[in-house]
Formats: sequence, structure tokens, C-alpha cells
Amino acid sequence: MTRLRVVLSATEPALRTASAELWSRPGLAQRYPRYLHAMHGVLRASVPLMERAALRCAELESRDPCAGRLRRYLETHSAEERDHDAWLLEDLAALGGDPAAVIEDQPCAAVARLVGPQYYWIEHHHPAALLGYIAVLEGNAPHIGLAAWIAGAAEVPESAVRTVREHAELDTAHTEEIHRLLDDLALTEGQVRAVTVSALCTAQALIGLFDHLVRTTPGRTAAHRTPTHLGARV
Amino acid sequence: MTDHRYTASELEDMGFPLSSLTPEQLEVLRDLTAEEAALLLDIKARMDHVAPEVQAHTEIAGAALF
Repeated sequence: MTRLRVVLSATEPALRTASAELWSRPGLAQRYPRYLHAMHGVLRASVPLMERAALRCAELESRDPCAGRLRRYLETHSAEERDHDAWLLEDLAALGGDPAAVIEDQPCAAVARLVGPQYYWIEHHHPAALLGYIAVLEGNAPHIGLAAWIAGAAEVPESAVRTVREHAELDTAHTEEIHRLLDDLALTEGQVRAVTVSALCTAQALIGLFDHLVRTTPGRTAAHRTPTHLGARV
Repeated sequence: MTDHRYTASELEDMGFPLSSLTPEQLEVLRDLTAEEAALLLDIKARMDHVAPEVQAHTEIAGAALF
């Protein structure tokens, strides 16, 4: 869908800059565990969102030409993404954090603002909206080499950057896959708008989440990491 | 796609760099709904508050996970 590619390309400078700030501002050693904690709140919703959207597609299949193909994509992709939230908990554990505490904590408002609209649109509008969310998140995955950079800058072990490393490798292919799907689906004009608005809201909220993590991290240097910040609340 | 289409001059007033847009990109932007344009402008405005040294180091980037 050329329209979405063009719109997303206009969001790229702001998204790239927001994530660059996340990694380059002072205090990465304190911020990285909080990033993992926040992203756990995002990733734990990925498979449930796709499963719910697939069920909604099944309901629509008899009267919506795109619903069957979309359902099959969501079912396949949810199997590929299953348990990736557990990687984040393992990364946090490698930093000395407590995975049980992460699961128990209420995800922060910035995470809810990012993920929450998808539940609403899947439930009350059309499950195709989720494709805008997926396209933005997969399209702004960690760059190749970022995991090694974090390990050095934040002075954390390689075992604590698995999620960043694996997603840098996986998500390039996933991004191409979702754009091919959008090219092939016979979406109506209304569905195209739903995907576009969803993508823009996702980009806006993602920038908000990265900004929140930067703003609320004490300004310290990487060398000043202290165990009390590991697994800290976001 | 919508009844209303933005003119090139309206897009320029909004801050879109028309000289660097391809005809295809221009067509898409002219076709944005008011809601889409407002969201995009809000995202673009975020760049106004970023220090030049951060903009210069965006190779260390990408942080979204799905």
C-alpha cells in the first residue's frame, strides 16, 4: 500500500530521533532496564491482539473479502511472535531484576496509550487497523548492531540484550511481509484510512513512550549503574 | 480518497518540504484526511524540540518491539 509507505516515511525522522535519544542520552544504564520493563508491557499484548483480531476476522469472513486472508496472516504471525515477551523477562533477570515483579506491576500509561487503541479498533471498528500498529513497530525495530552498542554503553552482559538482538534480525523480514500483505489485500477506502490512522497513532504514542523513558530517567552516566535501578518501575 | 484535497501551498504552509517530495508522495499528502494530517503534523513537530547532536547520531536508533 503505497499510501501507508509514504505516510510512514514522513514519520521516520521523528521516530528515529526519539529512539536515538533513548539510547544516547546520559543514564542508559538506569534507563535500559526500564525500557525492557516498558516493552514487556507492549510485547505481552502482541499475541493477544493478533488472536483477538483473528477472531474478529472470522466473524467478518462471510461479508468481508479481506477478512480471510488477514485472519490467516494473523494466525501465522501470532505463532511466530509467541513467547517473545518471555525473552524480555530473561533479559531483565540477567540484569538482576525480578520477572515476577515486572508481571505484577501495572504497565505505565504511556504503554497503555500505545497498545490500548488497538483493542478499541479491533473490537469496535475493523481488525485491519492492527496492521498499522504492526507496520510501525516492526518498521522501527532496533538497528543491527544496537544490542552490542547497548551492552557496551550501559555495561550490561550480552545475555541481557537478547530481545534487542533477535528483533533486529527478525523484524526486517516481518516489515517486508506486512507491506506485501497490505499490497495484496483488497482493502476498502475506509479500511485503508483505518490502517493509516492506526499507524499514525502508533507512531505518535511510540514517540511518547520513548520520551517518557528519557524524561523520567535520572541523568547519570553509563558508568554509574546501580543495582537498585534494575527492574525499576517505568 | 477524500472529498477535500490539500493544495500544494497548504501543504507547504504546514511545513512539508515540497521541493524534496516525489509526485507520488505529493499525491498521497494531498489526499490525507484532516485527522491524518493533524496526527502527522504533531509527529513532525516533535523534531523541532530535538537537539542537533541527537539528530546527528540517529544511526544508533530503532527501539520498537512487537
